[in-house]
Amino acid sequence: MYGRAAGPLPAKESNLRGVHYQLTLANGLTVVAEHLPAVRSAAFQFIVPAGAVTDPDGQEGAATVLEGLSYRGAGDRDARTLSNALDALGMHRGGGAELEYSTFGGALLADDLERALELYADIIQRPHLPATQLPAERALALQKLQRLEDSPAEKMFVHLRSAYYRNGYGRTALGTADGLNALTPEIVQADHDSRYRPGGAILAIAGRFNWSSLNATLQRLFGGWEGAAPPTPAPDTTGRTRYLHLQQDTNQEQIGIVYPAVTLDDADYYSMRMGVEILSGGMASRLFSEVREKRGLCYTVRAFHQNVKGAGAILAYAGTTPERCQETLDVTLAEIRRLEEGVTEEELARARTGLLSSLVMQSEAARSRALSIGRDQFLLGRMRTMDEIRRAVESVTPDSILDHLRRHPARDFTVVTLGPKELEVSP
Amino acid sequence: MRFVQKVLDNGLTVIGEQNPEALSLSAGYFVKTGARDEALDVSGVSHFLEHMLFKGNENRSAEDVNRVFDEMGADYNAFTSEEYTVYYGSVLPEHQTPLLDLLTDLMRPSLRTDDFDMEKNVILEEIALYKDKPQFTAIDEVRSTYFRGHPLGQSVLGTTESITALQRDQMYSYWERRYAPNNLVLTLTGNFDWDEALSRVKSLSHGWKPTDSPRAKTEIAPIPQVRVIKDEKIHRAHLAFVAPGVSAQSDERFVASIIGDILGGGEGSRLYWELIEPGLADSISLGHDEEDGSGAFFGYASCDPDKAQMVVDKARGVFLKAMDEGLRDDEIERAKRKVASALVLHDEIPRGRLFHVGFDWQYREEYTPLDTAIDRYLAVTPEEVRSFLARRPFDLLTVLGLGPLSELS
Repeated sequence: MYGRAAGPLPAKESNLRGVHYQLTLANGLTVVAEHLPAVRSAAFQFIVPAGAVTDPDGQEGAATVLEGLSYRGAGDRDARTLSNALDALGMHRGGGAELEYSTFGGALLADDLERALELYADIIQRPHLPATQLPAERALALQKLQRLEDSPAEKMFVHLRSAYYRNGYGRTALGTADGLNALTPEIVQADHDSRYRPGGAILAIAGRFNWSSLNATLQRLFGGWEGAAPPTPAPDTTGRTRYLHLQQDTNQEQIGIVYPAVTLDDADYYSMRMGVEILSGGMASRLFSEVREKRGLCYTVRAFHQNVKGAGAILAYAGTTPERCQETLDVTLAEIRRLEEGVTEEELARARTGLLSSLVMQSEAARSRALSIGRDQFLLGRMRTMDEIRRAVESVTPDSILDHLRRHPARDFTVVTLGPKELEVSP
Repeated sequence: MRFVQKVLDNGLTVIGEQNPEALSLSAGYFVKTGARDEALDVSGVSHFLEHMLFKGNENRSAEDVNRVFDEMGADYNAFTSEEYTVYYGSVLPEHQTPLLDLLTDLMRPSLRTDDFDMEKNVILEEIALYKDKPQFTAIDEVRSTYFRGHPLGQSVLGTTESITALQRDQMYSYWERRYAPNNLVLTLTGNFDWDEALSRVKSLSHGWKPTDSPRAKTEIAPIPQVRVIKDEKIHRAHLAFVAPGVSAQSDERFVASIIGDILGGGEGSRLYWELIEPGLADSISLGHDEEDGSGAFFGYASCDPDKAQMVVDKARGVFLKAMDEGLRDDEIERAKRKVASALVLHDEIPRGRLFHVGFDWQYREEYTPLDTAIDRYLAVTPEEVRSFLARRPFDLLTVLGLGPLSELS
């Protein structure tokens, strides 16, 4: 299917394409699932529509505190009994509050999937949210915020986001000290009642499972859940900051760049995406090769596309010592601009092979598939199949990338630097 | 699954675990060399050399190396630790031959002086990068404190001074001693063709000369220590812990892992309930790390600076209680379950499996099927846990605090 040569031990054709299932409950909860017959595990992720974007004004960080409190007792289990029940299933927990939503889930052996879903049905629908535990959860959130001061790269990205987006999309789930301190047990309970709702929620599952049994279990566990979360505002980038420097006595200067790009549902998406791969896919890509390999300017340099619902952006990052940071920024911006002078067929072929092969390798692991199909459902309202992605990637040509860049040239950069030195940003 | 192995005439060992169901294959050269094998005047050479191997040889330029990896859509990288340097890549099966050609070619680098000088900048940047991460500094420092001059306490990155002073010819002579074929193991996992791999590697490594690459393995004698590194530029208290464990060759390593998980393996561990749940620390971890002829429990916590003493005292309290009263049977059962499912999740892709197959061989010259490894964890008994803790390893705890701290006791 992917131009596989006649190998001695061919993989089964069915393995290359997981079977997809979709189910929307009457209350609006959407379930997307990909069956992967070759794995022994299953992974799942609930997307609950409570993220930093919809934290009420003045309560920034509410989603983080609510997510943390959800594990401090739920259903008929107290915090310890609940935690022990998850551990007894060998559940590897993931999740947390994010910009656009909060996630709950993880991965475990396939046979225990439905038992784990039972526990999460309680955590999401029936958490105790004990008032006595709010001070501890708040203390954790305040410490995470404080930890940014010892994490220069992460701190730069927080400021890059707020310099670029004007509304709630400029926040991060970390919140603010004022917002966290404003939370009361009543506010947290009301927040759960408002945002932890099936309307707008998604459950993504990947791995080995029995769909008809799963279907019945999900109806039983989540059929009685009611309501819909409040609507999410559209991202707003008007009047954004052009350059912001944060003075800090660090060893390396942190450099962040962001500029507008098309979204996943745009006809130009795959041409844009292949352009970004050529810029920063493998180690032969332009940024790595020009900034690190040829000039030795830094250890890390990369660019990537980031999609929020309703807006796309390309972000670039480099970290380097003060004596090399101006050149690092200049070369990085020059490489981003140079893309519109054209790409070669060889570069495109490498980018294509890299993307398609990572797609196949990703399908060997349930966890990465659950995250991917959940994100697809959130952004597109449907799962993309592997075939669809392959066809779209193969249809990109050097000309389609150029056409795309003529329509959407890399311009209007927002730059944030954090470190010992303020830089000159060429327009 | 089928295990295959062969030692070539030049001493190069090739092993593999075939999984015909896999969609990809992974291959990696495991080189038995790392920071512990360095003389102090070349501190950091193993890691710098790891970067230099990607600069190619007379057959390939640095650009060729990167380009060829990308052309086969490889997911590839390398890392250096105190004990090993590993170069690995994952590809779809049709790219097996170019991947093996390239990885094998990397083992015989030119170490050109202009590449060496350029890459030195990148290494210095990497050192600067980690200096801005107090968590890494704390773990590095606690290691050197605990090992008190033992080679296992040596820094992987080296220092700005040692890297600046390093000469190309020093690196070459280190490479000559440490990258002999009998000090390398090529490991394959996933969907690969064994006969093809073997004949390819045999012809590519023809003429490689074996040599002695000895490793000094002395026992360490840990003593309890507390050390504070005061740094007012840091905002949080970064606390690191080490206590003696068991080696990668010890049959007790499964017991040690279970104990590490119960005490500090994330949510639900004893340290979690003692420190995270009440909001005293925002991060805590503890795990057992088995090494060549040695082993230790390594832990880390971060908290507000004014809570540092309380966090250290409470962590110590958790260790003391475990040694005095032992661990409960239900905790042991849950930990076994967690470790077993973690193994399956990690090893069900060829790229994850590569490291277990490779390190099992490196440390013990044995092949352990995944289900056998799981069974060994599941076989741990409360009695084994009790007798391990009865030796009171945490009485020899080394504690390090980094941040705006004046003292710790």
